[in-house]
Amino acid sequence: MTPRPPTMREKRRYILAKVDPAGTIIDQKELYFAVSDAVTSLWGDSAAAVVNAAVVAAEEGHVIVRCQRGTERELAIALSTVTGYRDQRLTLRLAAASGTMESLRARFRKPKQPAPAEVYSPDPGAENGEREAVFAGKKFMVAGCEGGKVDVIEKGFKNANRLFLTTEDLEVP
Amino acid sequence: MKITDACVCPYPLGDSSVRRMALEAGKLGFDSIVAIDAPPLEYGGVRVCPGILIRDPAAKDVISSVKRGRETGAVIMVQARDNGFNRAVIGVKGVHVLCGIHAAEKTAFDHVTAKMAADHGVAVDIDLSPVIGGRGIGRQRAIHRYRDILMFSRRFGFPLTLSTHARSVLEMRGVRDLAGLCSLLGMDEYDVEGALSGITRVTSPADHAVKVIG
Repeated sequence: MTPRPPTMREKRRYILAKVDPAGTIIDQKELYFAVSDAVTSLWGDSAAAVVNAAVVAAEEGHVIVRCQRGTERELAIALSTVTGYRDQRLTLRLAAASGTMESLRARFRKPKQPAPAEVYSPDPGAENGEREAVFAGKKFMVAGCEGGKVDVIEKGFKNANRLFLTTEDLEVP
Repeated sequence: MKITDACVCPYPLGDSSVRRMALEAGKLGFDSIVAIDAPPLEYGGVRVCPGILIRDPAAKDVISSVKRGRETGAVIMVQARDNGFNRAVIGVKGVHVLCGIHAAEKTAFDHVTAKMAADHGVAVDIDLSPVIGGRGIGRQRAIHRYRDILMFSRRFGFPLTLSTHARSVLEMRGVRDLAGLCSLLGMDEYDVEGALSGITRVTSPADHAVKVIG
């Protein structure tokens, strides 16, 4: 089958979103279902068909979502209502919109400057290289650390909830 | 003009510390946040105003809670209930914001309550959490209720505030996201601007040059 000439193809736009919390492993297909559900529940089936949202890339903590040109606003609003996928909580922070995926990729592939000062140093005595932190008198495992932000998970098997803190919140063990 | 998220619930009510929420709010484009049961502080360029959320007690208990709250200088928010309760609460000196109107009964906020809110300078909070996290009939009801509130606000001129009631940084949304979500309620950019600075309006109301009495 001969490909459709460029002038007769659908005009598409791409939206770049950062995935929070950092370090979340994204399954593109599962996230597509979450985005599709958000679009459909907010705008209805007919509008969802026009938006035609699809998750086309998920890499380096970012996702690229495709839509029809002219429906970026609807997709952006729907993306802000995505609160989780599978059993995980996540949020999509919109960063940019563009006509090509490459220009969006160039945005998050820029070489980053190292964060100034506040870098949490792990406890050198921690077992198995796990980083420990103390908050509100309880011991936590550090799940992620970026700049002044520290994500921690309580030690033990009963409560695996993630807490979102800063380096200044942590107590000296 | 301060751009404020009118209600967030940091640790221990939620899973994020108040500093982390302030840091996140700064990234999302806010100048300040109202944090329930948190101390006043400034972190990452974002001012954290302490807030008190009064829910459930009878109207007369609200008065004593408000008195205690006024001494701390916190933003005092009262959870809306039936119409009589809301009217009584709006008349209490020191109440800044009436919140949770989407969860109150259908007749909880009428034109008389709206007029009272305008006269007493009490804001009505637009809590966007049911719009963000809700699905189906719950979200539809919330949007419908907020459209009604917006109509009253345009008619009587009482202030609005915008909040996410976030218990986690994952539930916080950026200023652009809020503007987009507010467009679902029929708010234009001027309405959104006014609502984002609603807390400033109720906590430091402008003095009238002339007061008409009688």
